[in-house]
Amino acid sequence: MIKTATFFDIERNSFVDGPGIRTTVFFKGCNLRCKWCHNPESQNFKKEILFYQNKCTGCGRCADLSVDNEKFFCLNDAKEICGREYTVQEVLSEIIKDKTFYETSGGGVTFSGGECMLQIDFLVEILKKCKENGIHTAVDTAGNVPWHYFEKIMSCTDLFLYDVKCFSEQLHKTGTGITNELILENLKKLSDKFKGDIIIRIPVVTGFNDDIEEIIKISEFLKDIHYSYIEILPYHKMGEHKYEALGMKCFAYAIPEKENIEKYKKIFNI
Amino acid sequence: MNERIKILTEKTVKGEMWVDPVKTEYDRTDLFLSPVKMTGKRVCEYIANQDIMILEESCFTGLMRFDDSVEGDIFHRKGHQNFQTAMRNFYNKPVDNLLTFEWQHSVGDFEKIIKRGLAGIKEEIEKSRLSHKDDERALEFLQTQTDLCNAIIARAEKGSKKALEKAKETVNPEYKDNLEKLSEGLSRVPEKPAENFYEAVLCLYFCYPFIPDSIGLIDRYLYPYYKNDVESGALSPEKAKEYLQELFLMLQARINISSDRFYRGGESHFCIGGYTEDGEDGFNDLSKLIVDALMELPTWIPQISLRWTKKTPTDVLRYMLDCERKDANKRIAFVNDEPRLKGLMEYTGLSYKEAVNYTMMGCNELALPGGMVFGFDPMNIVRSVENTFYKRHHDITQAKDFDEFYKIYEEELFSDLQEAERISKGFQDIRSRDCNIVSNIFLEGCIENAKSCTQGGLTRYIAVGLPIGLSNVIDSLSVTKQFVYDEKIITMPELIDALKNNWSGYEQLRTLILKKGNFFGNDDDFSNEIATRLFKSIGKWNNTENYLGKKWLFGNLVGYNEHHKFFGNATKATPDGRFSGDMINFGIGQTKSKDRKGITALLNSVAKCDPDAVLTGPSVTNVLLEEQLIKNDEYFNKLVSLFETYFKNGGTHFQLTYVSKEDLINAQKTPDNYKNLRVRVSGFSDYFVFLNEGLQDEIIDRTKHTH
Repeated sequence: MIKTATFFDIERNSFVDGPGIRTTVFFKGCNLRCKWCHNPESQNFKKEILFYQNKCTGCGRCADLSVDNEKFFCLNDAKEICGREYTVQEVLSEIIKDKTFYETSGGGVTFSGGECMLQIDFLVEILKKCKENGIHTAVDTAGNVPWHYFEKIMSCTDLFLYDVKCFSEQLHKTGTGITNELILENLKKLSDKFKGDIIIRIPVVTGFNDDIEEIIKISEFLKDIHYSYIEILPYHKMGEHKYEALGMKCFAYAIPEKENIEKYKKIFNI
Repeated sequence: MNERIKILTEKTVKGEMWVDPVKTEYDRTDLFLSPVKMTGKRVCEYIANQDIMILEESCFTGLMRFDDSVEGDIFHRKGHQNFQTAMRNFYNKPVDNLLTFEWQHSVGDFEKIIKRGLAGIKEEIEKSRLSHKDDERALEFLQTQTDLCNAIIARAEKGSKKALEKAKETVNPEYKDNLEKLSEGLSRVPEKPAENFYEAVLCLYFCYPFIPDSIGLIDRYLYPYYKNDVESGALSPEKAKEYLQELFLMLQARINISSDRFYRGGESHFCIGGYTEDGEDGFNDLSKLIVDALMELPTWIPQISLRWTKKTPTDVLRYMLDCERKDANKRIAFVNDEPRLKGLMEYTGLSYKEAVNYTMMGCNELALPGGMVFGFDPMNIVRSVENTFYKRHHDITQAKDFDEFYKIYEEELFSDLQEAERISKGFQDIRSRDCNIVSNIFLEGCIENAKSCTQGGLTRYIAVGLPIGLSNVIDSLSVTKQFVYDEKIITMPELIDALKNNWSGYEQLRTLILKKGNFFGNDDDFSNEIATRLFKSIGKWNNTENYLGKKWLFGNLVGYNEHHKFFGNATKATPDGRFSGDMINFGIGQTKSKDRKGITALLNSVAKCDPDAVLTGPSVTNVLLEEQLIKNDEYFNKLVSLFETYFKNGGTHFQLTYVSKEDLINAQKTPDNYKNLRVRVSGFSDYFVFLNEGLQDEIIDRTKHTH
């Protein structure tokens, strides 16, 4: 039995990760490297230190700082440890705090990341615990995991938020570092076998997947998929500063034009 | 809104409906009379002298105001010499930085006047006369009350005549009819019982100047008349709405346009909805009509609170929140009957059937019809923390654990509560040296007891205490427990030294506290338990009758004044990271982003911290939201659920503000550019730029919540 998993955030009162009022639990670690990723601190499985150089006064309090020093704090918010281990019980007790809000609003918990399904044993356990407690569960995934992982969690998941980043294989590899064969295949299977809801999420990134032909290809593919609705997520720059803090290279994309977003929405009939 | 109301609205918002008091010359030999007789005589002469404003467009009339020449109504206390002395000495001038003097609100029992008429009140006076037949003082007082009733009736007769004259010169047939109806109406009410909806509203309108505060639960006491008239076909909802609008315009018009208060909502506040005596939710078709009527008016006054119950349909809450978000003047707030009724029954000795008739009033005080709210006035509860650390430093250094520390704190708390009660009694004693003549007939008990409402005649009152700085106390206790006793990061002498030096030399410690402190509003068991412990202590102290013969019902608002700033200015540094002189917090909530876990965590902390309903008096919970949460329909629907859950969990109150921090800060710098920035303050709404600095700063300090 897996005892703990590493998370980079647990966010209460989320209005944007599925229906109703939700708590979103962000697992740390991902097997995609999307160039537009707005949570670059979610990619690495291990705990990391974010360093905002411009805030540093060089006081030296962090000289021998290790990522396991949970009590550490920087006086100037220049250094921040990202990632904390939780047991299933600890995560559950955070989730359960807002249970009454879920009940009234038709909300629940959303497991996100990173790729939450990569820590599948922990995920299975926490999903089961949530169901035992009558909490609506959603799994936000990029889908790049073995199919039998889905089989493990389908019975205790009410909703999948499934990312479709593009249709063309090569394009996917350029943008995320891997091809999307498995991702699309898993989505087809999920669409056939899963009895709950699926929400499709499509990031729109200028210069990556925003040409009309690509968008049309995605929409064609989705015609055979059973889903509740599609969400278009326009690229934004809110994660940029974190790249620098992690010493990672940041690909700067342009923010998509509003008119284009409207155009894509029409293609998807939304 | 129809043409007639449009005209009246224009006049009202321009300040043209204001009725100037007419100066009255009194016979100087009145001074030979006893004070009560003299006041009684002069009050009647004053009333007889006042103008009656009737316009072509009027369906109602009666607005008047007392000047300083006689002891006027109980709300303004014009001419109440002792009250004015207390004001000069204590208003905004706390005693020992512990307690300061505030206003007292009342709500007339308009239902009784509407049902029984002043004729009915006069019968009551006669009855009381018989039971006090050997008490000269009582008989003297009762005579003034009969005279007052007659003066009001005479004024109605005068109004009736004037309306008829006006009708004669009016060409518009609809207006002519209205005026004839007004003339006829005033020949019956307020002397005789109202027979229909129009007369009921007329009676309320006409009597209001004698107790000009909350109009109370109009969706309850006007409902039988409304229902009856609508069912019989005598009244259309549209017509009823028109009458309500004219009533609301009068509430706006009674404040002079030259005063900031013209744009401030803190005086004529009332409720709709709430439990009825049979335990059902009282929101009815008239409640909705009241809101619709008000929302069509571009006025700032009156303000409405929805009394939510577990039986309130979600659609009603959504409707009210939707009105709130569309209302540029921010006239709507929300209160919860569930904890409130528990508190009212536990601490004020009311039965369920009595308690369900409470209304919110003023900024966010509460009273029963025919009742008043007496009090303890705003108290600096942070002083008890200050005393613990600065005066009891030897004792707390000896404390072995947090429980021992808390015991010492509790002694200081109890001693300050005791002292606050003593000062409060002093304020009350001064107030009771005035003998109000004007408002008693609308208040319960005064006639029966043959005593003025200022002198112990009133039987239906609530005694409230207003401890300001609750979250500073909770956080100070919580930080002490966490840093000194649990995590042992610092010793007690170090903490004391840090405070004595106002954190100088302890900057790192202060930053650590601000970053890692278990502050209230994060829904963690640690701070929630401290909060509950504090409220249980207050409850424990509050177990005997006070000088008003009640237990206290506590709240936490400051009204129009920056008491939180005065108190804070003279309060030394406290363990929550507060510097000496920093203002303290009012309301129950959190500020300065000390609530780090979002709005559900804040609302959970607030809803859970007070299981014994100690704080169900004049309590406020301010929520500052990002504007898109309320404007975007999808988010808005989630907000409805959010606040419904908060109430289900036991929260007492909430009011919303959704402006950007940037705007608030800029508005402070360049007020001229932000004249329309409307915010909810301490239970009322106002233009930000009109607020005093302390109230402005409090809003800027609020944590802004997003999704």
